[in-house]
Amino acid sequence: MIVCVAIVGHQNNPLYIQSFTDGDDALKLHHVVHCSLDVVDERVNNPKKSGPMLNETYLGLLYPTENYKVYGYLTNTKVKFISVTTDLDVKDADVRNFFRKFHAAYVDAVSNPFHVPGKKITSKTFAERISTIVKAFGLSSAG
Amino acid sequence: MEEYPDELRNPPVALISLVGCPEHHPAISSYLHSQQHPINVLALPDFSKVPVVLAKKVKDSGSEDPPGGILKRDWLLKHRTKIPALVAVLFSSLDVSGGPTQWLQVCSDLENLKAAIRPRNVKLVVVVVLQSSSAELHADGNNEDRMIALKKRAEVDSKYLLMYTPNDVSELKQSLDRLGNVFSELASAHYREEGRRIRTKVEKRGYNFPELHMRYCFKVAIYAEFRRDWNEALKFYEEAYRILWQMVGTKTRLPPIQRIVEINSVAEQLQFKISTLLLHGGKVLDAVQWFCQHNVACRRLVRVTEAPYLHWEWMSRQFLVFAELLETSSATMQSISSFVVGGTDRTLTEWEFRPAYYYQLAATYLKKKQSSLEISLSMTDNSSEADSSIDSVVPSTYVGQFARLLEQGDELSMQPLSDEQYVQYTLAEGKRFQDSYEIIALLKRAYESYSSLKAQRMGSTCGLDIAKEYFFLNNYVNTKQVCDDIITLYRQEGWVALIWEVLGYLRECSRKLGAVKSFIEYSLEMAALPVLPDTSITFLGFMESGPAGLPSLQQREHIQKEVMELFGKDSRDGLSVEKSTDLRLTEENPLNLEIDFVSPLRTVMLASVAFHEQMIKPSVSTLITLSLLSQLPLSIQIDKIDLQFNQPQCNFSIINKERYTSTTMISSVQQSQRMENASSLVLTTNRWLRLTFEIKSEQSGKLECVSIIVKLGPHFSIICRAERPASMDDLPLWKFEDRVETFPTKDPTLALTGQKATQIEEPEPLVDLALVATGPALVGESFIVPVTISAKGHDVYSGELKINLVDVRGDGLFSPRETEASFLDGHHVELLGIAGAEQEGKSQGSDSNINRIQQSFGLVSIPNIKNGETWSCELEIKWHQPKPIMLFVSLGYSSQEKDSTSQKINIHKSLQIEGKIAVTINHRIMLPFRRDPLLLSMVKPFNDADQLVSLPLGESNVLIVSASNCTEIPIWVESLSIETDFISASSSCCIKPGSGPESTGSTLLVAEEEYKKVFTVKPEVDSAPLSLGIVCLRWRRDPGHHEPSTIVTTKHRLPHVNVEVPTLIVSSECPPYAVLGDPFTYFVKIQNRTPLLQELKVLLSDSQSFLMSGTHSGTVFVLPKSDHVLSYKVIPLSSGTQQLPKYSLTSSRYSAGFQPSSAASTIFVFPSKPLFKGANDRGKNLESVATI
Repeated sequence: MIVCVAIVGHQNNPLYIQSFTDGDDALKLHHVVHCSLDVVDERVNNPKKSGPMLNETYLGLLYPTENYKVYGYLTNTKVKFISVTTDLDVKDADVRNFFRKFHAAYVDAVSNPFHVPGKKITSKTFAERISTIVKAFGLSSAG
Repeated sequence: MEEYPDELRNPPVALISLVGCPEHHPAISSYLHSQQHPINVLALPDFSKVPVVLAKKVKDSGSEDPPGGILKRDWLLKHRTKIPALVAVLFSSLDVSGGPTQWLQVCSDLENLKAAIRPRNVKLVVVVVLQSSSAELHADGNNEDRMIALKKRAEVDSKYLLMYTPNDVSELKQSLDRLGNVFSELASAHYREEGRRIRTKVEKRGYNFPELHMRYCFKVAIYAEFRRDWNEALKFYEEAYRILWQMVGTKTRLPPIQRIVEINSVAEQLQFKISTLLLHGGKVLDAVQWFCQHNVACRRLVRVTEAPYLHWEWMSRQFLVFAELLETSSATMQSISSFVVGGTDRTLTEWEFRPAYYYQLAATYLKKKQSSLEISLSMTDNSSEADSSIDSVVPSTYVGQFARLLEQGDELSMQPLSDEQYVQYTLAEGKRFQDSYEIIALLKRAYESYSSLKAQRMGSTCGLDIAKEYFFLNNYVNTKQVCDDIITLYRQEGWVALIWEVLGYLRECSRKLGAVKSFIEYSLEMAALPVLPDTSITFLGFMESGPAGLPSLQQREHIQKEVMELFGKDSRDGLSVEKSTDLRLTEENPLNLEIDFVSPLRTVMLASVAFHEQMIKPSVSTLITLSLLSQLPLSIQIDKIDLQFNQPQCNFSIINKERYTSTTMISSVQQSQRMENASSLVLTTNRWLRLTFEIKSEQSGKLECVSIIVKLGPHFSIICRAERPASMDDLPLWKFEDRVETFPTKDPTLALTGQKATQIEEPEPLVDLALVATGPALVGESFIVPVTISAKGHDVYSGELKINLVDVRGDGLFSPRETEASFLDGHHVELLGIAGAEQEGKSQGSDSNINRIQQSFGLVSIPNIKNGETWSCELEIKWHQPKPIMLFVSLGYSSQEKDSTSQKINIHKSLQIEGKIAVTINHRIMLPFRRDPLLLSMVKPFNDADQLVSLPLGESNVLIVSASNCTEIPIWVESLSIETDFISASSSCCIKPGSGPESTGSTLLVAEEEYKKVFTVKPEVDSAPLSLGIVCLRWRRDPGHHEPSTIVTTKHRLPHVNVEVPTLIVSSECPPYAVLGDPFTYFVKIQNRTPLLQELKVLLSDSQSFLMSGTHSGTVFVLPKSDHVLSYKVIPLSSGTQQLPKYSLTSSRYSAGFQPSSAASTIFVFPSKPLFKGANDRGKNLESVATI
């Protein structure tokens, strides 16, 4: 199950962060997302030598904490997508698929002429769309 | 890792035992130690100790009882330090080859030894120590037999009977090598056999309990390690580990909690061994993967509900140990990225190869342990009574087991513990330790490690955890320090929730420490954080948000209220913030908060200042707009705003009328300042408060708004640096928010271009500076340029006149090339003086008036001039070379008397003046008319171009000097004379003015007119070269209507001449004019001045105009120092200017020809005899002219 998704801008500032837990770990998830940016930096600065990774937007598993697994995705405009899951066994393809949908939703949200690039995304439609995607991921990974 | 026993941390080392001949033990031990694969030595000095060491407990092997535990605590230590793999018995060669008693002793010792080592399956080596040389031994046949007997008795192979020769250095080395090889071979054989023995037990399943299975596997692995077979060791450790987890569910006689603790302890040891082996083998990836599996397995482990802290503590230790192991082997991990395999099978990430990650997790688990221990402690308050019973709890013989030590008389016995007792024991142990310090230490290690990896964000998280731990320990100073470090990153990246959390700690620490300023700063920053009402839903889940509370609009408002109360007047009444009575702002302790361009508090108060005009005239008012913006959630009432400029007299204050009148703190200084009233000064969230006022300045230059002081309450003010709207940075944090953004000024253009500074122009000069020049200047004269200063509007004080002469071409007044030539002359144009100013300067005495004149620069101080008055002076400039120059004159003065600070007013004037040469002087030297001397230098001309003019000695030559005016300015020539420049000249040469009428007074020369004067020059001495002297022309400029100008003398040096003695002089004589048809005689007179006979050829050509009689050609001989005259009778045939018949003479001696010039042979022929009045006089006169 995805417990948190985030979009992080160029200056590593949060553009959108939403947690899907009822528990008390929202702040902790903020920390987890923030820390995962270190891994993104590391991955971007030391790219793998292997070929297929070169133009890959999906960064894969960033780091496991005791309870979560953090996955990352980097668009070609250097906007970072982070998702935090509680599942210890997630299929890579599922995560890729999730990020693709997430990216599409983001593109739609920033294409809004009233959105100022670089500012936080406050669109309610976007939030609803994201929670739908997150729910769909939960169903697919469970099934 | 340090808490593990030595034998576990270090790989096992083979152990052997030495018996007998104790004096040789040290040498052998140290040799074996220093080997590549060292061997530990158990040195037993005499044989009696051997059975004690090797004693074996009698085991009832057939017993069906389950074992007491999994691993015995001292088993490994025993094998490492007590039970040797082999016993090397040392006999002296003297004993072996000695008498029967000695031999018997050897035999009995050997028998005893054999008996002792048999049950342990320990190997035996017999070493004979040679006391004398080996040659002696071999020579003795008796010895040979003894050795064979000894071998037989010892029942050893012949290669295990060794000789040891300590006395010979070369032999010693060899025998030591031999010993070392045999020992290591036998030791490894022993461990292999032991391992194989137990392995067969495992394979044949010769055990009834999983404990034994596990224990056997462990032992096999240890024996493998003894002989450095790491792969087998690893295999059996892993096997043991696998079996261990299978035992979790099985029942034993141990109570459940202690059972799990035992399994955990054993698992820990196995895990440590496996990780060490993998890491030392360089298999980092395997090690990490193994640890991950271990970690997963640990999590699956059934937790002990009664004592959860035990589990957390154990987990924490797992991570700590692995982190330490990883750190020690980090040298082998050069590139982490190579481990992180790409593709689908990515289960490990970068941080999992870093010790920092494990340190951090260790700290996390320890924190969990701490909190669960606290809960457990709070639940058991009757700990005091149980204390006595758990006093004597000690670790028992098995790993991970504890027992109570009971003293029964002299005997000690172990009594098993019940789970309750064990829990009590652990609680009591837990109380003894301060986990917080341990947590901080772990986090610090993680923090440092992350910092070195440049993983700032991970580091910051660790830092925050450290801060929390310090806060928990009430160490507020450290908390504040750590928080201050990490908040910078969060601010930079705009993670509002994280900033909120950290600020919460900082604010609380400041409150606890009684630091008012920082408390207010942090509170205001928190209150101004972009936590918006619609986003606060996101943060509802925050429970552990620390002292900050939930980030919400309500909380922000609450914080702001709390701070505002601190500023407010109420604080004096004791109604201050209820929790912090020591935080108070008083009259003695006012607070000024400074906000600069990079301060995070810019969100609290942002001040922008814009002048409406970029350039204004002095004393003319312009508008200035002050705009204030705040993101605080509640509106603020401002008491007073002070605007401060770089020109302090422009400072002014804006007062909130309704609030400020109640306070009576207007000091005298403030009263002198300008005050403006504003009806209300209320700053609402995200709305610009715009105030526009007039401003004017008297002083020219830059007028810049420096700071704005906003007073809130009696003792608190915020000092904002003024920002200009044109280039204002975005608000930190708020720039990411989707908020309404407005311009700081109403006029959007001003918002884009507005500056916080304006330029004030210089005051207009009301003074006339006039420069007049009358035409071009003439070289040599003192040219006068009058300068007039007239005050037309205000007075002139402390004025200064600067004069500069600048070459028009811009390359200075003399070019570098000319510098050398005219070095002595100095400047081509020179400022001689300033007339009219010097007198003033002198009259003012020794005042500090400046009056300096250099060649091209002058500085004159001018007296004070009242309004309407004029003052003038004259610049005297002299040209040495004809050159155009630019004259710059600038006047700097102030319009106020005794006001040194007031601005200087400057006026600049310039004038281009041409410099011209006034007169040019030429000269001509002529010979007398129709008289031509033959000078030898003319006959044989030298090639020199600069050949001097030759003058015949004793002849009167004519010198015509002409001076022509080459300017448009008429000049008066006063006189023209020739000055001879040396005394002897008077005797060598006679120069006198021509005999013409002497002009008296001066002559006016207009443009291009020439003035001529004739001189006769008669050289009297034959000296070459002869200086003729200098022409001195004295002239002056035509003054016009002005006063007469000074006389200037222009000098012109005449060239040198040669004086020669003429050889022949030919002169022709004829009347001044002729009359048509009237015959006259034409004489050609040849004078021979030489003492030689001269032969001359004469040739005369006919002329159409004349009828002539006389020889046409012939040769004449002229006697020395005598004359010869040729005479021709000539009748003119036509009138007008006619050419006389031309004659030519050729001197054969000098090969020089002579022909008179056409001018000399021209004569005017009147058609009839002219009738002149006084013709006789005139004729005389003409004659005289002609004979010159």
